[in-house]
Amino acid sequence: MRFSQIAKKVRGAERISREEGLFLLRNAALLDLGELANEIRFRKNPEGQVTFLLDSNPNYSNICTVDCIFCAFYRHAGDEGAYTYTVDEMIANFKRAAACGVTTILLQGGVHPALPFEYYTELVERTVREVPEVYPHFFSTSEIIGMAEVSGRTVPEVLRLLWDAGLRSIPGGGAEILSDRVKRKISSRKGTSADWLNVMREAHRIGYKTTATMMYGHLETDEDIVEHLDVIRELQDEGHGFTAFIPWSFKPGNTPLEKIIPRHATPVRYLQMIAFSRIYLDNFDHIQASWFSEGKKTGQIALHFGADDFGGTLLEENVHAAANFVNKTNVEECVQLIHESGFAAAQRTTLYEILKVYEGSAAA
Amino acid sequence: MNAPITFHDRSLIPVWQKVRHGERLTLEDGLALYRTRDLISLGKMAHAVQQELSGDAVYFVLNQKIEHTNVCVLSCKFCNFAARKGDADAYEMTTEEILAKLTPEIAEVHITGGMPPDWPWERYLDIVRTIHQRLPNADVKAFTAVEIDFFHKKFKMPIEEVLRQLKEAGVKTMPGGGAEVFSERVRRQLFNQKIGAKTWLDIHRIAHRMGIPTNSTMLYGHIETLDERLTHMTKLRELQDETGGFLTFVPLPFLPGDTGIKPRERFTSAIDDLKTIAVSRLMLDNIPHIKAYWVMLTEEVASVALNFGADDIDGTVGGEKIAHDAGAVTPMTLAKDQIIRIIRDAGKIPVERDVFYNPLKLHTTNVVGKIPFLNSAPFYAHFERRQFKILPVVPRRMGLLSERGEMDAGLFSLMDYFRQEQAFELLPWCIATRDQVKSVMLFSKEGWGDLDGKLIGITDETATSVHLLRVLLEKKYGVRTRFERLHAGVNDYSAYDAVLLIGDEALRRNKYGLPGFELVYDLAREWYDWQKLPFVFAVWAAKHTIAGESKRNLKEIIQNALDACGGDFVSVGGKHGRRIGLTDEETQDYLAGFNFTLGEREREAMTLFRDLVRECKVPVEGKA
Repeated sequence: MRFSQIAKKVRGAERISREEGLFLLRNAALLDLGELANEIRFRKNPEGQVTFLLDSNPNYSNICTVDCIFCAFYRHAGDEGAYTYTVDEMIANFKRAAACGVTTILLQGGVHPALPFEYYTELVERTVREVPEVYPHFFSTSEIIGMAEVSGRTVPEVLRLLWDAGLRSIPGGGAEILSDRVKRKISSRKGTSADWLNVMREAHRIGYKTTATMMYGHLETDEDIVEHLDVIRELQDEGHGFTAFIPWSFKPGNTPLEKIIPRHATPVRYLQMIAFSRIYLDNFDHIQASWFSEGKKTGQIALHFGADDFGGTLLEENVHAAANFVNKTNVEECVQLIHESGFAAAQRTTLYEILKVYEGSAAA
Repeated sequence: MNAPITFHDRSLIPVWQKVRHGERLTLEDGLALYRTRDLISLGKMAHAVQQELSGDAVYFVLNQKIEHTNVCVLSCKFCNFAARKGDADAYEMTTEEILAKLTPEIAEVHITGGMPPDWPWERYLDIVRTIHQRLPNADVKAFTAVEIDFFHKKFKMPIEEVLRQLKEAGVKTMPGGGAEVFSERVRRQLFNQKIGAKTWLDIHRIAHRMGIPTNSTMLYGHIETLDERLTHMTKLRELQDETGGFLTFVPLPFLPGDTGIKPRERFTSAIDDLKTIAVSRLMLDNIPHIKAYWVMLTEEVASVALNFGADDIDGTVGGEKIAHDAGAVTPMTLAKDQIIRIIRDAGKIPVERDVFYNPLKLHTTNVVGKIPFLNSAPFYAHFERRQFKILPVVPRRMGLLSERGEMDAGLFSLMDYFRQEQAFELLPWCIATRDQVKSVMLFSKEGWGDLDGKLIGITDETATSVHLLRVLLEKKYGVRTRFERLHAGVNDYSAYDAVLLIGDEALRRNKYGLPGFELVYDLAREWYDWQKLPFVFAVWAAKHTIAGESKRNLKEIIQNALDACGGDFVSVGGKHGRRIGLTDEETQDYLAGFNFTLGEREREAMTLFRDLVRECKVPVEGKA
């Protein structure tokens, strides 16, 4: 197998196999990978625009039953610092965010053992009704499975009822690495890779748009990463329900896994992940890089490695913060970071509709 | 293996053509590079040039910065470091306080500080001398040109005398700070009390001539224009042509902060940082290293910069910044581990170095050594890496590295192979002369017979040629001489009666002459006339311990590389030749004069040479 042969396929918009993917991930030089990814990025999005959105990631509760060893955020019921907000409190939170211009609320909790299902449907209904400025992007797959268990319903029933309440978009978190070998080690009680995929499949069938994510840099191998991307690519073929793919590195601070993995993966690895996913996921419209998860400077560079989205401005964020990873921005800076990278900046909605274009990109 | 570049911005193609042909870039070329949005292609160009120069190496050093005082007579608007005597935050360290900050593993002590009004000259010398004496493993890199100029004026000594005394006290190299941007416009606005371009360049020129290699820097990201940045680079390039004394170039991003003025509110962008690294690698075709100084660039950008033309990441200096959660281990150890991790993750060899960039330790396996001279081009121009990484390193240093078990395979200088025959398998390729060599030359003031009792300076790079010289002197001509190693970097040859030079430097001097040394002898020709045998300078060898499959791979790679070269030496070495002043015709002739496969006559010559070396009595090796 040779790089040049695989590159030829990629340039001819041909799909590459798992084996070819693994070869690229292992052997391609960083900038060769970046070059290919960048070509695809411009093929799919020739305008040279980079999108971002105004969003906030609050949490309704940090009480969780699944005890993932990569997580510094969760508490058990009764622990010091455990909290669950009422629907009223959450609506007040969303209103504050909306007043700051936020258009998307990415809401997640822990996987709560006791909240009644009505809590979730009420949250969605009241958000749609009372804070129409924001678009709800609520509940990860493990929470949805949790709701099914607590309420004695099936996953499709839960998804249908949330849809009826007004939910249209679901975040892709909780995928971590879709390889059961890895999941058994880092999140044995969070369900299998098939669980995540099934919820997503059902959601796409109903009409939901979702994102797909990957958290790397812990116990996974290169093969696991290829497997992850491969199953996501397959599912995307079924219904084209994923809007974007979003990778980030595991942040070890304050987590049990910190003892084995003391530092988060390097920027070079991130750029590899961005570029490689752009090449492998030929049926995804967008790859999201972020000023947030790996640092602003790495985020800027990633825009040249195949990413065409810069994530959200994140008014509120608690999960990375629990791992001592804090990073802040505002619209002005976000636009400036994109401009400095040589692209026009465009504010978008959750579903990638453009709201406003900020021209004036200057080559640095 | 790097793939060819597919340019997104096609306007870069003419510039790339020039780079590939070894043509020097103009200021306009530099502007085209800076203005492109095709960051990846720019990076690939710079990375390719970096790989030709330093292979897969990224250099780092265990170093510590000493800022002996913050008291300063200048008040540059830029600076948030300086204090006035009597200020609450003013400090002045004693020599003992300085020593207390240094640990035994440190290889480089970087000293620079404020310019206090009342320190006597002896105090500076004492600091340097004491460090030199008390920490035998540490070399001192001290005092920017700004400080040297201050000493010159305050102590009323010529620059040469200031540098001579510092060198005698133990200063090995000089940092490159204080250059800022070579522009009078910028200087008047931002640092009008500092020395300008002319003084900075003059001081570095003098240092180079006196055998003190230095660094060069550029402070960017404030009010300077791209034109001014590129003019700065071309001025450094001109001085380097003249002296060859710059070790590395360090672009320093301006950090907005608590300074007197705010030329810019924001930090430089990552894109500007990477472009500056890449553009400098392409413009500064004669400076060996480009440094991604992580302390200022951030760890993020520095680690990516290793794929954009940088091959130097400074060192553990400022280690506390990345080692905030120290615990049981020292900040130095943590910083070192993190640096090694970053370099490995970038796909490179973490090369721990000394103050002159000699490699000490490699921190990785599967390293193949490459003699960075033109005559090894036929092996390396088409060397497909597979699992191997390439480290260009001069023959003697490769020998020292492999003695420490750091090298898995490579083209070894013959004497180094002899020394380690037990551990290595001889592979059937070599660099052997037929009758003459043109790149192992003795430049002499006297004829062979008159060298008895004289002093010969020997380049620090040689491992085998010096023994060939010994054999010729003792066995062929019956004279005894004294030898002295010339340290790496710039050299003043005037104190010697003859000088042995090898490799590119010898080729260049053979063509253009070495003033003061009228007689020029080709050692391979001397050997051939005497023994009627070829001379083997280097052989390929691989450690017995490397896996069979690796060894098979390596043999295949070497043979493929030679086959791909065929007899077309211009295609593999033309650019290298032009860089050192040879025409394509001269390169073709030079390389055609070698035999690259090990035959019977080569083996016979090896045995004879080994026996003759054993009989020689005059020692050559002083301190390594």
